[in-house]
Amino acid sequence: MKIAISAERADLESNVAHRFGLSPYLLVVDTETMGFKALANPGAISRPGAGVQAVIFAISEGVEVVLTGYCGPAAYDQLVSNGIKVITNVSGMVKDAIEKYKAGGFGQVLAVEQEKEQANRYINRNTLARALRSSARQIANILPILIGVVLCIGLFNTFVSKEALATIFSENVVGDTLWGACFGSILAGNPINSYVIGAALLNNGVSLFAVTALIITWVTVGLVQLPAEIASLGLRFALLRNALCLVLAIPVAILTVMILNFIIG
Amino acid sequence: MNMGKSHESKRGVSQSSKYMLIFPLIVLVTYGVLFLIMPEQALVALKNSGKVCLNILLPLALVFVVMLALNLFVKPVQIVHLLSSGANIKGILLSVAAGIISVGPIYVWYPLLKELREKGAGNMPIAVFLYNRAVKPFLLPVMVAYFGWVYVAILTVLTVLASIVNGYLVAMFAKRKTAE
Repeated sequence: MKIAISAERADLESNVAHRFGLSPYLLVVDTETMGFKALANPGAISRPGAGVQAVIFAISEGVEVVLTGYCGPAAYDQLVSNGIKVITNVSGMVKDAIEKYKAGGFGQVLAVEQEKEQANRYINRNTLARALRSSARQIANILPILIGVVLCIGLFNTFVSKEALATIFSENVVGDTLWGACFGSILAGNPINSYVIGAALLNNGVSLFAVTALIITWVTVGLVQLPAEIASLGLRFALLRNALCLVLAIPVAILTVMILNFIIG
Repeated sequence: MNMGKSHESKRGVSQSSKYMLIFPLIVLVTYGVLFLIMPEQALVALKNSGKVCLNILLPLALVFVVMLALNLFVKPVQIVHLLSSGANIKGILLSVAAGIISVGPIYVWYPLLKELREKGAGNMPIAVFLYNRAVKPFLLPVMVAYFGWVYVAILTVLTVLASIVNGYLVAMFAKRKTAE
């Protein structure tokens, strides 16, 4: 059986690291041979989603049990829902902790509780509370910019005339679509803002071709996030992907509107 | 379905929260100035904003419900599983699904995508995943309220199809450049 254990160093003599997601190393130990594989915890380096990355490692290594000092609720849920038992409050030397587990020193109570929790996870009150908090936080994150955008739309509708917009959007299908795609590529943020802006542009006489291209490129092309994408996925991939998304947005927008016009007449 | 939080990421979130407030604050200051120099038009602008706000309230409530369902039943680990299924037809379709159900800012996903790439995931599933983030199930109520369900259905289908074309082209050109 394979056990994953958070460790301060990459050997069995190391102490158990307190936090599962942020431990410097994760050791995967075969309890029969006591052979082990050490991996520098990816989550300890790249902080966003630290716990999740440790979870992914544990799952991909096929471990059945995780021993650690503390495991965050999100990582705990994910481990348990993937059939991995999590034993917390483990301290001392890694080797001793493994031996203690093999000897049943952590007891069976935890395992039984976790099996119950796994069975009831869809109606678990804690899971629901976490999901509610998470959803509220996501909505709260959307709101400040959305309020700003809505207030801007008010200004836009009041101060920008249709004639002024017509100087940019000249009812040339390809030209308008290209402008829309360019605006969407530069602007960034939650896509809900692109819908609100798109609807306002539509009400002011801008073509649906341009609005559709704006909505598509708002998410698919990210000039603002480009440095981060380059850093993670490489210059070639990032530039190629963004350029192709920008080009592809134009036929997709034109096709969308043409099919819509065909269906609704 | 948020990613796991660490002290560092919480710090990052609070930092980005500050930046998020800058834009609405600038808009509010603009309104303040306008109320001083042209109060009547500023009031018209505020009323116009109020109308937009009323239109968006109900769809936003639906957004919360769909978001809650996603947070309850979809976990980032499941998304990574879907993404790790290779570049065959099944793998591509699973990448489409992963992109559609993934939420949160894209920069949170970059470290995971990098990790997957290092574990052998190809360019195509990653590009397909990133493109399909344009399909947001939890925002569909807002989109339908503004543009109608027929438009949303067409755009969604074409976005998914375009994601596969995009993934294929990215993989093809990236490979060709590597070969050169």
